[in-house]
Amino acid sequence: MRFARQSLRIAAKDLRAEMRTKEALNAALAFGVVILVIFSFVLDPGSEAIREMSGGLLWLTFVFAGALILNRAFARELPNDCLDTLLAAPLSGAALFLGKTLASFVLLIIVEGICLPIFGVLYDINWLLQPGLLAAVLLLATWGISVIGTVFSALTVNLRLRELMLPMLVYPIMIPALMAAMRLTTLLVTNEPISNDDWIWFRLLIGFDIIFTSLALGLVEIVLIG
Amino acid sequence: MREKILYGAGILGTLWLVRNLYVICLVLPDETAQGAIYRNLFFHVPSWFVSFTAYFAAGLASIAYVAKRNPVADTLAVACVEVGLVFTCVGLATGSIWARIIWGIWWTWDARLTWALITAVIYAGYLMLRRAIDDPTTRAKNAAVLCIFSFVSVMITYKSIEWWRTQHPDPVLSFRTGGGTIDPAMESAVFQNMLALALLAAVMIAVRMRQEAALREVDSLRRMAHAR
Amino acid sequence: MDQRNFTFLFYGFAAAWAIVSIYVLTLVSRERKIRGQIDTVRRMLAEKENPR
Repeated sequence: MRFARQSLRIAAKDLRAEMRTKEALNAALAFGVVILVIFSFVLDPGSEAIREMSGGLLWLTFVFAGALILNRAFARELPNDCLDTLLAAPLSGAALFLGKTLASFVLLIIVEGICLPIFGVLYDINWLLQPGLLAAVLLLATWGISVIGTVFSALTVNLRLRELMLPMLVYPIMIPALMAAMRLTTLLVTNEPISNDDWIWFRLLIGFDIIFTSLALGLVEIVLIG
Repeated sequence: MREKILYGAGILGTLWLVRNLYVICLVLPDETAQGAIYRNLFFHVPSWFVSFTAYFAAGLASIAYVAKRNPVADTLAVACVEVGLVFTCVGLATGSIWARIIWGIWWTWDARLTWALITAVIYAGYLMLRRAIDDPTTRAKNAAVLCIFSFVSVMITYKSIEWWRTQHPDPVLSFRTGGGTIDPAMESAVFQNMLALALLAAVMIAVRMRQEAALREVDSLRRMAHAR
Repeated sequence: MDQRNFTFLFYGFAAAWAIVSIYVLTLVSRERKIRGQIDTVRRMLAEKENPR
């Protein structure tokens, strides 16, 4: 219980700090919209190709924009020795990590929630046809991305080339979750039924989340404290 | 003394490879459809097995480091990843050349190849992370955590890409198909080459480990010299 | 031996051997660099001892 309360408190602190300035949020949103616009030159809007690529396009946007948010998870604590203070506080590394993951998760969901309607308008796709399953995919995949991104943010927090190394390390590791999310999102956004074969992607997402959350909770203490 | 054993083993491995090359090129029968290029198999498959074994060893070494904080475990991990990456490159190159002849294209995005490329990128990232951290202890523990994540991800990606698409030739070695799809002489040649390459890989890993230990010692001597 | 596609087989084997050799060469050059570093540190330590 104490663990949960501590994590929620850390998450609330991070979200409060972010909402005051909205730096990362604005940057991520702006970047997301830019990517959506640029892709309109790659593909012919309104064509069949867009419908087939919608999942891929959406998740590329989310992940590239999300990197800005994930990077700040631990990087925001560097000035004024905030990270050292947090580590010295009477809370476990896992609680700190979980709180930051929750905060990143919420911010990513906000970015996705704003980018989806923009995507729908720009590419003329009605994405609201299977909202429940789409929401489930968004939540599951975003959690996986948040977990991996936050752990790697902790790993790279003290590096000079942090902004370069984080995406380089994170994207390949996230590929299974991304693949599942892209496949499912394409089906749901274009209102195709989920065939029996495709439920495997849901199972993959859930398995990915469980495995990496447990791994991260177990190992993040070593990264943060040693 | 140990150096001599290592270099002796290295030479033995190389000679064994040369002998295998002779067997592969001159002794074994021809395959009907592919021409000479099928003999590529004898380097391609063993490279992949050796490479994956090296990554597995690196994963185990990283777990050992996380548990015991023994620097030797960290040294083993980095040596295994480096050698594994070398053999991954060999596998990718030989596979590419084979594909150029048989499929007409250098590259295709089928399951195995995509996974191979992702694995190479993941472990290249591991080596990049190591290079970016200066302090040995931080480098060792962060790299260990990354290696564990990388290995789990590599395993999950393997299965998931298989579900995504497949064009790669199906397994032909008998322990995978229950026998009957490959000439036993060819199969034994594959295994012989696997062992020879594994021996060479082990020698390279051992040499790399010794170098890493020497680097660590030089580092600590240097700190001692500056401290006085 | 069936000679069809022999050139590419040769390229394949050459690539495999080349990649492994390049790695062995990097190992050798690293060994040399380490020896140089050891000599430097030894010299540094000797200088620290002697002026006293």
